[in-house]
Amino acid sequence: MADAFKLFFNYVGIFFILYMIGYASFLFLTVAVGSSTLYQLKRRNTLKNELLQDYYVPVTIVVPAYNEEVTIASTINSLLSLKYRLYEIVIVDDGSTDHTAQILRDTFHLYQISRPIHRMIPCQPERAVFETQEFKVPITLICKANGGKADALNMGINASKFPYFVCMDADSVLQYDSLEKIVRPVLEDGTVVAVGGAVRPCNGTEIQNGHVISYHMPKQIIPCMQVLEYDRSFLAARILFDRFNGSIIISGAFGLFKKSVVIDAGGYDPTTMGEDMELVVKLHVFCREHAIPYRIRYATDAICWTQAPETLKDLCKQRRRWHIGLYESMSRHRRILANPKYGLVGFISYIYFLIYELFSPYIEIFGVFTVALAFAVDLINVPFMALFFLIYVVYSTILSLTAFFARIHTIDLKLSVSDIFKAIALCALELSCLRFILAWVRATSLIGYRKKKQSWGSIQRKKINFE
Amino acid sequence: MGIEYMLYFYGAVCLSMIMFNVAYAVFLRRSEPRMKRRTQALSLLTDRQLKRLELGKPVEERYLRYLQRKLRHVKNLIAFDHVLRALSSRYSVPGVQSYFAQLQPCILSLSLVYRKRENTQAAYFTYFLSRYMIHKHMPLQSLQEVLLEYMAKDNLYCQVNALQALYTFGSAEYILNALKIQDRGSVFLHEKILTEGLLSFTGDHDCLIELLWQELHSFSPRTQLAILNYIRFRTGSYAEEMFALMEDSKQDKEVRLAAIRYFGRYHYQPALEPLLAFAQNEDPVQWEYATVSVSSLSRYEGHQVIEALKKALHSSNWYVRYAAAVSLESQHVNYEDLIDIVAGNDRYAREMMTYRLESRRLQKAEV
Repeated sequence: MADAFKLFFNYVGIFFILYMIGYASFLFLTVAVGSSTLYQLKRRNTLKNELLQDYYVPVTIVVPAYNEEVTIASTINSLLSLKYRLYEIVIVDDGSTDHTAQILRDTFHLYQISRPIHRMIPCQPERAVFETQEFKVPITLICKANGGKADALNMGINASKFPYFVCMDADSVLQYDSLEKIVRPVLEDGTVVAVGGAVRPCNGTEIQNGHVISYHMPKQIIPCMQVLEYDRSFLAARILFDRFNGSIIISGAFGLFKKSVVIDAGGYDPTTMGEDMELVVKLHVFCREHAIPYRIRYATDAICWTQAPETLKDLCKQRRRWHIGLYESMSRHRRILANPKYGLVGFISYIYFLIYELFSPYIEIFGVFTVALAFAVDLINVPFMALFFLIYVVYSTILSLTAFFARIHTIDLKLSVSDIFKAIALCALELSCLRFILAWVRATSLIGYRKKKQSWGSIQRKKINFE
Repeated sequence: MGIEYMLYFYGAVCLSMIMFNVAYAVFLRRSEPRMKRRTQALSLLTDRQLKRLELGKPVEERYLRYLQRKLRHVKNLIAFDHVLRALSSRYSVPGVQSYFAQLQPCILSLSLVYRKRENTQAAYFTYFLSRYMIHKHMPLQSLQEVLLEYMAKDNLYCQVNALQALYTFGSAEYILNALKIQDRGSVFLHEKILTEGLLSFTGDHDCLIELLWQELHSFSPRTQLAILNYIRFRTGSYAEEMFALMEDSKQDKEVRLAAIRYFGRYHYQPALEPLLAFAQNEDPVQWEYATVSVSSLSRYEGHQVIEALKKALHSSNWYVRYAAAVSLESQHVNYEDLIDIVAGNDRYAREMMTYRLESRRLQKAEV
């Protein structure tokens, strides 16, 4: 029996060494490439290697909303203060049960109009359309039957008048120059079909008319840890994937798409919970299968501020939704796994997401149980294990902080000393505790998920003063 | 034993990352005061030269040699940019112009230096040129020749900034050559960038348009499209030429569509018949021609046009119907004249026209 345990632990040990080497190397690579790209970008901007004149690509901003009465008016007000000329705002009220539509009608003086919608991709029918030309740009509100976020986005695409559209969340705020920055990749490269923006938690940040007035780490622990996690996992990793046109996710909170390609590919899939990721993977598949030259880019300087969940309960809900979305997108497009037809997307991006995102919670929980088992049968070197764990925490903390400081330095934000200490302490806490809690949440997220399909994720909203 | 080495390795990575973070923070803290010092030093020297100019004395040779040497370093060039930005608010326009004129040899020599630098620095130099050539202080032929070499660099910003500098010089021949170079190169320049740039040209637009038209067919369709859009925004005297392009079925589709759009901006009676023919073409493959023609027909009057637009409202293509409704609405046709559509059996035509009429009412109410 003891021999069997030893053999089992040996194999587990080898597996985890390979897994950790892979993780550590990838983390190092993402942070090194991500940070150096941010520093290069800063140098390029200092040396005016950017498009300085005002070139306007017409863009429709699609804002899907479901029970967003608390934040919707300030979100639309923030969109009206964007430093951009050629855009329109299309809000899709997906059958809200609160006063979302009424608030919009009253605040922006919207009038009902009989507008025919060009139905290019399927979506639930509209109940009423409202418009106004009173503001800097046209605003349209479409009230429709409830069909989920993807369905609302599809309606927004159908109603959009311009060749590019931006999708965003109703509780997010775009920085004043974000539209200008997100269309730049389109002007720089004719093959760009989608551009992801940089999504940042706004908790702790004071924003006025889309400008950051003061930047602090959030007061609450949960959003503070997410700030660090966003820089490590999203910012740095997406920059790396962008290098080889391998991004397979553009956050639903802020992304720009070429309308014609999205329509040809079939639009958002209303049967999935992770419609944002599913669309991007679908675009890769569609463009490659139809031999369309394409690029999917990531604009690190196009910033969208979003509310990070402030309680552990809300955070768990959000991550559960993300994990289900990840599972659905990956299983739906499993044929691209290591398929040469899809190039590095199939070999690097897909495999990375499969092992280190989709399977990682199961692997990590399995690891914790194995440690407990080894401890129970006295087959573990406790001091060595403690040292190994310490090295993991220190290594990941330092790399997270490198990504965090690279972002802070390159956008000329100033942090107070207390914020720096807070970042260091909470980074270690996030990696040693929160990560494992979220691993458990993600691992159990697929249990009974089919019942919750197509529902809007709801987290506690707070009115933020963006004006 | 192997595991221990691995731990050492990761420990070393951690250490080097910490060192990098600390070193960069220190560098960042020092770089701002350093730039301030550079700017102050250059500002003092430049002020002295401008005061000399006010007294009727020329800029000192020694100063020019100093600049020539110092500005080879890109950070000094940035500092000099900061100095020059403040000049116009502190000195008279003729004084500043005279100062720029005397900088000519120095700038020319620097243009040869930066031409050989990496693309990022070369792009900055062309930005510098475009910024301070605004009043055409230095329409030097040799400098424009060097800018054409910058155009050949494999860098978008270098090309955009060099083009911008050439636009400010105002020489049509050099713009033509620059466009030819970019058209042959591998760098993608969006037609919007080209059109907006051409519109900012400070020289004789008629002369530039004539040169570009003569060489139009030597360009790729993308550049042709940018040129045609530029002509459309600038002049209405190319109707005959545009008509020929519109009628030439061998031309690229986007080029022909641009020619059709020209007649939506400038009325040209001979174009009416072909526009009506495009508008009434029911071939689904030709829907783009039909849509743009229907839009262009908003410029033309008469019963024939109204009937063609009404017919287009029954098109199976959404975009054609939408363009027809917009054109009809812009013709200020009375409600009574549209009763056959608004009360007609074609639901799609009815919905589209009602929407446009309601939009017009909404706009009037809001005004």
